[in-house]
Amino acid sequence: MITRSQILVLILNRLKSLGVELHKPALVEATEQTRLFGDKADLDSMGLVTLIADLEYDLQQNLGRTVSLVDEKAMSRLTSPFRRVDFLTDYLVEVVNQKKP
Amino acid sequence: MNFWLLERFKKYNTKPALVGHWGQFSYADLVQLVEKIESEFKGLTGSTTTTIGLVGDCCPASVAWLIASERLQHWVVPMLDHAQETAEKLNQIHAQWVVITEGGTWKIYPRASTGTLQVESSQSLPAHHAGLVLFSSGTSGNPKVMLQDLSVLLNTYESRHENSLTLLSLLGFDHIGGINTILGGLAAGSQMVIPESRAPEHVITTIKKHQVAILPATPTFLNLLLMAASHRLSDLTSLRLITYGTEPMPEGLLARLRQILPAVRLIQTFGTSETGILKTESPDADSNFLRINDPHVEWKIVDDELWLRSRTQIRGYLNASNEKFTADGWFMTGDKVERGPNDTIRILGRTGEMINVGGEKLMPTEVESVILSVPGVIDCRVFGEKNAMVGQTVAVDVMAATGQNWETLRALIRQTCRQTLTAYKVPTRLNLVSAISTNRLKKQRTN
Repeated sequence: MITRSQILVLILNRLKSLGVELHKPALVEATEQTRLFGDKADLDSMGLVTLIADLEYDLQQNLGRTVSLVDEKAMSRLTSPFRRVDFLTDYLVEVVNQKKP
Repeated sequence: MNFWLLERFKKYNTKPALVGHWGQFSYADLVQLVEKIESEFKGLTGSTTTTIGLVGDCCPASVAWLIASERLQHWVVPMLDHAQETAEKLNQIHAQWVVITEGGTWKIYPRASTGTLQVESSQSLPAHHAGLVLFSSGTSGNPKVMLQDLSVLLNTYESRHENSLTLLSLLGFDHIGGINTILGGLAAGSQMVIPESRAPEHVITTIKKHQVAILPATPTFLNLLLMAASHRLSDLTSLRLITYGTEPMPEGLLARLRQILPAVRLIQTFGTSETGILKTESPDADSNFLRINDPHVEWKIVDDELWLRSRTQIRGYLNASNEKFTADGWFMTGDKVERGPNDTIRILGRTGEMINVGGEKLMPTEVESVILSVPGVIDCRVFGEKNAMVGQTVAVDVMAATGQNWETLRALIRQTCRQTLTAYKVPTRLNLVSAISTNRLKKQRTN
């Protein structure tokens, strides 16, 4: 079992290391309100894809099973779960609590 | 040398041609730029044919240099500014001049070249024709250098009819797709808007601001556009036509586009760097089957692979084997296709190992050679992984030296790749494995 606050820490840690890697100080200081996608975001689409792959890796380490975060269903949601850190956190909570298929 | 294009620009006169962060340039402005380049560069080179590395984004100066190079019968090599890759490319093409463009200005630098581009006699251009050199992902680590007859290519746009639609150009000026969009649009007298960034939200703002009607894009970009546009669909009401290509269109995405933008016509385009962009039709808007309808192109399917023969075909690869071209002029595209009803086809993906990240292509070996240079890496295998956001992403299995901390090595591999490669080539997923599942790499390295 992994809690919401643990998931938030995972996301913020990954953003921090991506921020260092991409020389984006704003990502190092990320909060729940940080935008991940769009005009005011510091990540471009490849950065976002990298963040998600890193989080899938972290979740796999934590849960001992593979987790897939991007699929057609996630992409077609009216409010994108990838838009902001808090949305992504909620989405991850939802995904990890889903019963295994 | 083409006369018609500049004559047409003179006729379009004060119509806006290119709009971007550098301002607005009319067709008359473009004529002035082309003429200025011609007199300036003629003074430097006389009538000798030279190879020009044209470094910069799509801007009025880049476009004017492309056109002037054709008129002066030089060889022009457009490339984006990426420190390491640009230097390597300039070396590879033995550029004698480097032109760096920015908005409506440029700087010309002579370059000490150690040799000249070697062209086999069968590939050489007819007299008084200009060359366009483009790079594409090669089967080995190095990108392939392709020579195209720029004069023939330019002439194919003469049949474009005038329109006054505004078009947004997203595709890179170093790719045949981007060059096709620009030349086709200019030949038709369209207004071409070049966004400052390709970030979807910025593009939406640009579409609204300039009332863009035509948007050529990749499926990946359209996917990201829909993600960003969910709260501001009314900003897209000027759109009339979206053309998409360079990677397969997922059916789910096509259905979403149809649902969210019902008033927009969706047309699939198809082309390769080797054959140029083909004229195609999408007979059924709900399906991703397309029909090639181009008087300059013949096509056939051989063992599920699409073969093309076109008038705008490249003269050949200058640094690689030309085995993908048959003696009678067919090009084996490497695209796996299936046949649909009424002479249509559908692109399923690549037959080989090529990875397509949001329409940008690469070969695994290019990334593998970088990763193998990282201390602590024993072996690796790079492959494409399906991704619902950008089509495919780059993944790598890594075999590490004993005692190596995986987190540290992982970070070092990413960092090395980021310093050496363009962003889309940097692996997003890195897996630690105890053995590499194929012997492909070892074979290549012993060759």
